[in-house]
Amino acid sequence: MTILARLELWKEQGAISTEQQAHLASLSREEPFSLSLELNLLLYAGVLAFVAGLGWSISTWSQQLGDVLIVTSISVILAASFWYCFSRAAAWSGAETASPTPIFDYVLYLGCLVWCVELAYLENRFHVLSGQWDLYLLATALLFFLLAYRYDNRFVLSLALSSLAGWFGLTISHWPSHQDATYRQYALVYCLVVDTVGAILHRLQLKPHFSTTYLNVTANVLFWAILSGVFDSQDRGLWLVGLLIACAACLVWGLKRRQFAFVAYAAIYGYVGVSWMLIRNASDSTFILAYFVFTAIAMIVILLQIARRFGRPE
Amino acid sequence: MRIYKESSEETLRARKFLTQWTRDGYLSEERYERLEQDTVSDLRSTNIFLRLVFFFFTVIGAAAVVALFFTIFLSRPSQQTTGIFLSIFAAVSYTAAEVAVSQARLYRYGIEEALAVCSVAFLCAGLGLAFFSAVPYSSREIEFVIPAVGAIASLWIWYRFNLWYAFPAAMIFAIFLPGYWTPSHSTQHVFISVFYAAGLICIVPVRSRHRFDYLEKAYSASEAFLWLGIYLVFNLKISDFRLLSHWGSATRFTSEFAEPFYWTTWVLIWCLPPLILKRGVRKKDRFIIAVGAITTVLTLVTNKPYLGWQRHTWDPMLLGIALTGVALFLRRWLALGPNGVRHGFTAARLTGKDKHTMSVGSAVLGLITPQSITPDSQPTNPDFRFGGGGSGGGGATGDY
Repeated sequence: MTILARLELWKEQGAISTEQQAHLASLSREEPFSLSLELNLLLYAGVLAFVAGLGWSISTWSQQLGDVLIVTSISVILAASFWYCFSRAAAWSGAETASPTPIFDYVLYLGCLVWCVELAYLENRFHVLSGQWDLYLLATALLFFLLAYRYDNRFVLSLALSSLAGWFGLTISHWPSHQDATYRQYALVYCLVVDTVGAILHRLQLKPHFSTTYLNVTANVLFWAILSGVFDSQDRGLWLVGLLIACAACLVWGLKRRQFAFVAYAAIYGYVGVSWMLIRNASDSTFILAYFVFTAIAMIVILLQIARRFGRPE
Repeated sequence: MRIYKESSEETLRARKFLTQWTRDGYLSEERYERLEQDTVSDLRSTNIFLRLVFFFFTVIGAAAVVALFFTIFLSRPSQQTTGIFLSIFAAVSYTAAEVAVSQARLYRYGIEEALAVCSVAFLCAGLGLAFFSAVPYSSREIEFVIPAVGAIASLWIWYRFNLWYAFPAAMIFAIFLPGYWTPSHSTQHVFISVFYAAGLICIVPVRSRHRFDYLEKAYSASEAFLWLGIYLVFNLKISDFRLLSHWGSATRFTSEFAEPFYWTTWVLIWCLPPLILKRGVRKKDRFIIAVGAITTVLTLVTNKPYLGWQRHTWDPMLLGIALTGVALFLRRWLALGPNGVRHGFTAARLTGKDKHTMSVGSAVLGLITPQSITPDSQPTNPDFRFGGGGSGGGGATGDY
């Protein structure tokens, strides 16, 4: 029985009203057909392409165009973007708020990206802070956090988190070549700071819906840092204990809050770390393969129990 | 022929609708609880995260079982023996997938999916080793059997288990087929496009019988993949990997292809996007509309290399302005219609699902943007380097 037939049946049984049946039937038939998601993606792609072209053009033509023209052009775009946001914004609220206009989020996002381009250009040409990028990143992160909380924008929040990560020395593109103790420490401090701030803001009911973004970002950074400790560090045992604690915490959190992404993190990162510790020195292929057979089955059985007890379909 | 009964799939679909409508506030909790009782299914499903984890561990387990078998029971087996045993494991894996569904009633659970996927992988590897690797002078022409079997097996998995990703897998297998038949790249492209067109001819009439039922999305996605496949095959700037190394240079690469073929494909990459978009809009099909939009952008991006024109640094800016302009125009035009609806389309968000998708998407895209927006600096200005965008803050820690 299709959903349309089922709705008809429910209407005849009196479970739903005629109006409800008509409305729900139109929703299931996608009438009217909403292009909201597609239009948002187009706007996002448009902003991204524009800023990419802007950066590319500046890098190629800066000498021909001259500093005045470039700085003026970028500043005009920046000022226009922020003016649009400041003039259209609704009164601030700690709760989740809808964007005042459909393009508001993307104009703000454009402004933030152009800000980065302008900052980079100014420092490169005029060395205002004598190459102290840390300060730029910190200032940028703080500005983006303010904007994200002011305008309830997850795009900008993610930019703020990545800028802050940059300030902590967590340059993702450099990560594979710098898996050393310093980076791990920075990563742990980053997670601690972000999670603490996120928890405090959540407790204060300041944009509590942002906390999922905080937790997902910090969980992944934390697990990467711990895993790098398990793989490379002299104190592997200590990092393994840390990994197990993090996995347990992540698992409990995920099950308690019914956020199964965290259950997945705990399962995958935990399995990779523990497996590495157990088989890194093994040379017997039979042992290694038997290990994978039995542990994979064990993981499936454990997760089946979890899924039966806690799991819910989407 | 399908492993899941129509009634079971429809029941699960109805339950998903009910959950979504309740979240969106169209149904009260009491009414949901009343209606939910009518949508009890015997199938066991789980959420996307556990599904992925189950898939991961099942693949590890299945691969390890096979490898362990070879390690323990067969020391230095011949390739033919290995191939035969791999084929047996393919059968075992497939049977296990069937049993997981028929006995444990698993539905999109990761386990049965991984077993089905492994069966295709084992079968292709087994066939290759059993029948072709062991024969020293095997005819290359008959080796097409391996991708052909892979394509057929993937199509079977798609049909039997209704797993959407098995369909593009079959399409990928089909790409390798013409390589065994002809050395001509133009002919290979034509062959692949004929396969995909044949797929379209088969799917289009079938899907019209499944309007508003549980198979509608599956057929819609498959048709969209076929359209995308046809476009990518004809767009020689994307589908010919040897040309990618020359991406962006002013040279026109027609030497590998006959001039008429090259220019025919150029005409086709301009004709296909509006055709796809038109079909998507007419059918109100989200996947096909998306493919139409993607192919339009790809045509705009690859047009200059196609014509051998020099690309400019401001091209992405123009593209960005065009995309934003189209989005704004469409939104405004739709919003000005009666009740914000024109020709059955609206720019308004009707379900919370879209909002959730955008929330998750914006958080993820916001994180990856800084790595992607700033291209590498141009070698024309050795003294002045700007760009790189290595990290957070929109590339603010890049190498300047």
